[in-house]
Amino acid sequence: MSSHKRPEVTSDEADAKAPTTLSRRELLTMAAAAGGWTLAGGLGCSIFTPARRGKALEEITSAPSQPTIPPLPGDVIDYRTATAIPTICFGCTTHCGVIGWVQDERVRRISGNPLDPNSQGKICAKANGMIAYTYYPERLLYPLKRVGKRGEGRWKRISWDAALEEIASKMRPLREAGRPDRFVFHYGRDKTKGYTKRFTNAFGTPHRLNRRSICSSNRRAPLMSFYGREFEWESQDIANTRYILNFGGNPCEAYQGGLFILNRLQTARVDHGAKLITFEVRPSATASISDEYHPIFPGTDGAVAMAMCHVIVDEERYDKAFIDRWTNVSVEELAPTLKRFTPEFAEQVSGIKADVIRRLAREFADAAPHCCTLSNRGSAKHYNGYQSDRAIRLLDVLVGNVGKPGGFCLSSLRGWAGRYGQEGLPKLSQPGPKPSGPKAWAPGHPAFEELPAEIKERVSGFPEMWKKKYFGELATPSEYPLSWHWYSMRVGQLVYEYIRESRQKVDVYMSYTLGAAYGYPEARAAREVLASEELIPFHVAIDIGYSEQAALADIILPDATSLERWDAHSTNNYGLIPYTGIRQPLVEPLGEARSVQVILRDLARRIGGGMETYFDFDDMEDFYKGWYSNLPMDWETFKARGIWYDETREPDYELYERPLTDEELVDSEVEAETGRIFKRTGPKRRCIGLRMPDGKAVRGFPTPSRLIEVRDDVFAIAARAVGIDESDPLADPLPTWFPIPGHEQIPTDRFVFTTFKWNVHAQGRTGHLKYQAEIVHSNPLWINPETAKELGLQEGDEVEVTVYRPQGKTYKANEKEPVGSFINRVKIVHGMHPRVVASSHHTGHWEHGPIGGERDRIAESGGPGAGMDPALADPDIAKRMWWSKARGGVGRGVHINDAMPINPAPLVGGQNWYDNICSIKRT
Amino acid sequence: MANNPLPWTLKPQADIKPPEKVGMVIDLRRCVGCHACAVSCKTEHAVPLGSFRNRTQVVQRPDSLKLSFVPMICMHCEDAPCLNACPSTAITRELDGRVLVDEVRCDGNQECVGACPYGAIFFHPDKQVASKCNLCEHRTEVGMPPACVEVCPTDALRFGDLADPADPLVALHANESARPMKPEAKTQPRVVYMGLEPWMDDKLPGVQRAADGEGEDGLTYE
Repeated sequence: MSSHKRPEVTSDEADAKAPTTLSRRELLTMAAAAGGWTLAGGLGCSIFTPARRGKALEEITSAPSQPTIPPLPGDVIDYRTATAIPTICFGCTTHCGVIGWVQDERVRRISGNPLDPNSQGKICAKANGMIAYTYYPERLLYPLKRVGKRGEGRWKRISWDAALEEIASKMRPLREAGRPDRFVFHYGRDKTKGYTKRFTNAFGTPHRLNRRSICSSNRRAPLMSFYGREFEWESQDIANTRYILNFGGNPCEAYQGGLFILNRLQTARVDHGAKLITFEVRPSATASISDEYHPIFPGTDGAVAMAMCHVIVDEERYDKAFIDRWTNVSVEELAPTLKRFTPEFAEQVSGIKADVIRRLAREFADAAPHCCTLSNRGSAKHYNGYQSDRAIRLLDVLVGNVGKPGGFCLSSLRGWAGRYGQEGLPKLSQPGPKPSGPKAWAPGHPAFEELPAEIKERVSGFPEMWKKKYFGELATPSEYPLSWHWYSMRVGQLVYEYIRESRQKVDVYMSYTLGAAYGYPEARAAREVLASEELIPFHVAIDIGYSEQAALADIILPDATSLERWDAHSTNNYGLIPYTGIRQPLVEPLGEARSVQVILRDLARRIGGGMETYFDFDDMEDFYKGWYSNLPMDWETFKARGIWYDETREPDYELYERPLTDEELVDSEVEAETGRIFKRTGPKRRCIGLRMPDGKAVRGFPTPSRLIEVRDDVFAIAARAVGIDESDPLADPLPTWFPIPGHEQIPTDRFVFTTFKWNVHAQGRTGHLKYQAEIVHSNPLWINPETAKELGLQEGDEVEVTVYRPQGKTYKANEKEPVGSFINRVKIVHGMHPRVVASSHHTGHWEHGPIGGERDRIAESGGPGAGMDPALADPDIAKRMWWSKARGGVGRGVHINDAMPINPAPLVGGQNWYDNICSIKRT
Repeated sequence: MANNPLPWTLKPQADIKPPEKVGMVIDLRRCVGCHACAVSCKTEHAVPLGSFRNRTQVVQRPDSLKLSFVPMICMHCEDAPCLNACPSTAITRELDGRVLVDEVRCDGNQECVGACPYGAIFFHPDKQVASKCNLCEHRTEVGMPPACVEVCPTDALRFGDLADPADPLVALHANESARPMKPEAKTQPRVVYMGLEPWMDDKLPGVQRAADGEGEDGLTYE
């Protein structure tokens, strides 16, 4: 199909309503003439305010569109006539404030927004990827319905009307029959800050599934255990620190908030002499710029941390006053646990020399309180990950750097609804009326009764605190109570297996920004379940590109990209002052793409039955304006600046020591034996702070005891609930370390296979973005030179990597049959740990068009091209993918996820991505 | 806050003073090899795949397990080999020191490409002329920094006016540890490096990957 005509909508699929007479282009021209803002200087840089925002959305979106794909630019940006619009980046999950430059209705450039107090005007390589995916040649622009069997790759274009009608007709009966739980909404990256939850709550399903466990559950649980639900992520005061102990974190390339750390890190080091010590398995960018890089055996970071704690306690380098005042343990209580973790022991398991451990512990303590730990996947994505991270976090507590300048600080994570640490901040929340959530499942509830007997029994034995928030095995897996104890992190990697085992029957399954079919562990198992019309009778995918996930759908709905939609935004500021930002459209969605907010609103209205009462708004801008109605800045100014924060506010140091105000203390009472201060509101009482021994009433931490809970009995409670013996270190209420089962004696011909992330990529969704793919397009196997020599391997050799099942209390543990294997090529890297081999995981797609999968779907007759527009063709991609196999290059990477075992850490459920034992064979 | 002008608002042209003497310092002590500069430049100038105006080389250190990161752009040399090599006088030095290719005069002989010791020049496959970094003339003339400088998260790239005594770049540029890359080429570049170690010059390729996919220059290190 060489014609450049837009695919035609056949008459029986076209909307019944007559088209409006104005094309989108004409509407935009009218808007510009009506005049937006003119900024200081009168240079014609205007803020984009299309006239359509005054019009009822229904009229415009129900018309067949005349998509005007803006042509490829012919020249550089003319900054005097281009338009600058602030928004929030979505090139990864860090979400820096950015400025988008628009010329001739095309987004041309992304720069940093200097007003963002977190990113401070900086961006990374991924930011401009938003332009790449908005104008990607095979971007999805029209709704599609599958033809033939699911997964065959045959599609036809349908109208939005037809798509939404079909979806609503499948969903409505579930709700009417009182079984909304049969609808599963599964997202990959939802940053709507509660908008999609509005939909799932209105529908009544508890099944909002996510990928938190695929990601960071094991490192969030320790934080919430120590510091409270509010602080599942920390904000180290990098700008003022003097010493950082980094256990496997890589903020120079990845990391949630990586750029916020990076933009402060090098200034701290180069200008102020701060030291960065990194434990890693490969020469990541962070390890490479560190003052010291120590290759460490995977999964032993916790042992090194415990040994450092041992040294700090043994040599009395701890802050006794802080420990006594602010923790629920004493040094005496910790001593027996720490005793056995000598530096010599840690050396034995980790390979880090005992005298190095001692020296680093002393240096860390000497720098206190202007020191902090850093850790992320390297330490946590292991079977022993959550205990290891508790050990690492204990270091900060022992030296008392928590909340101090240059220390391990805690600052508000989310858009404000009057939570801990948010006093004095405007209350920002979605406009009402808002639906309440579904009721928990108890005996008698039809969904509860359908559960297997063994599960019902387990749940019946749960403590009350868990019974009252149990919502079935997909949302609240009973085998992993700590995956939903603080909040519902879930165990995403088990979802498909649970569906296969009929732990939950599904009628309608909706994917949103999800790449499970490619990116989940044992992804082929996910694909098998997704392909089954018996297990998943109806699958709707909301996506911007034809991904492996969308390929297994029945209906695909084209989403607006992040450059084309609204979102409220807030995240923890490493500058320690809470702030908020607005994501706003820079251009109208291309083709017939619609933002997920519009899609779910329209779907809710179609389903009806009361859902529509929660979606009674036409104009999305008005909706977000309502969200921000309490902001002490007018809406137009906020849109123009993109960011708001209170410049007079003190940074969030030592939030726990902040005194409670007289107002807060009204109607409060002190619990004599604990000092906890409770405030009465009607029949309920809420803990608001702590009366200290010195008589002061302060806020404390948002934990049950209002102290840092170094001892947390919830680990023992959870172990008991799922039948793990209390003597198992998994159950230890104190931080500890234990070896990963099977890792104590790895045969010399086997290695640990780990994955890693690149600075130019974000998970599995950027491999097809041209400038990023140009820099990193494949994922060879990184291997130490000595190890390569032992195996008789040379640079570029082709090898088969076979991955074996994990041991311990995890999925299919100890099965002899390997999980799978993949073929890759050798890349010799000097800084690799000799017992570790590694590949990144961003590339190796078979979908995602010419760059992602090295195939042109748009050219296939009867394929997903019906949802694409040839006007997006980019001759640069067509002619110059120099790395492609077709042009004699190395090609795109190798898909490794089918060989990665599903491996949730016990109790918490975080995926142990970095535990894999493998063998390597030259092919 | 509401009353402060937006930082990205352009000043009136009359108030803009473009640099009289362009200079740049690339501080390798700060660079983390993130490629923000490279992708920013690619996007700004729609640089064809396979060619680079700005690229970050990754090199294995000889003395440790670590990697080092070295951004490379046109050095805007005061004694430019490309200018000297061009038989069509299509390469000129501007008053401010910028070295520019005149795309109209360029007849595509490509003598400049091989003459550059830094691999800064490529032959544009569509325009069929020599092409390279021009320090974002279209940005500097309206008072904006070059695209690469604007985005660098660690301030490893710094741009300014060496003729302005108030410009902090002057002191950096003159710092005794700031030096050109490949000094043996005697190009007297306006772009100098901090933290450029003696072993690095030889390890850094003087060519970039050609558009037809030939040549391995250490850029693709994945």
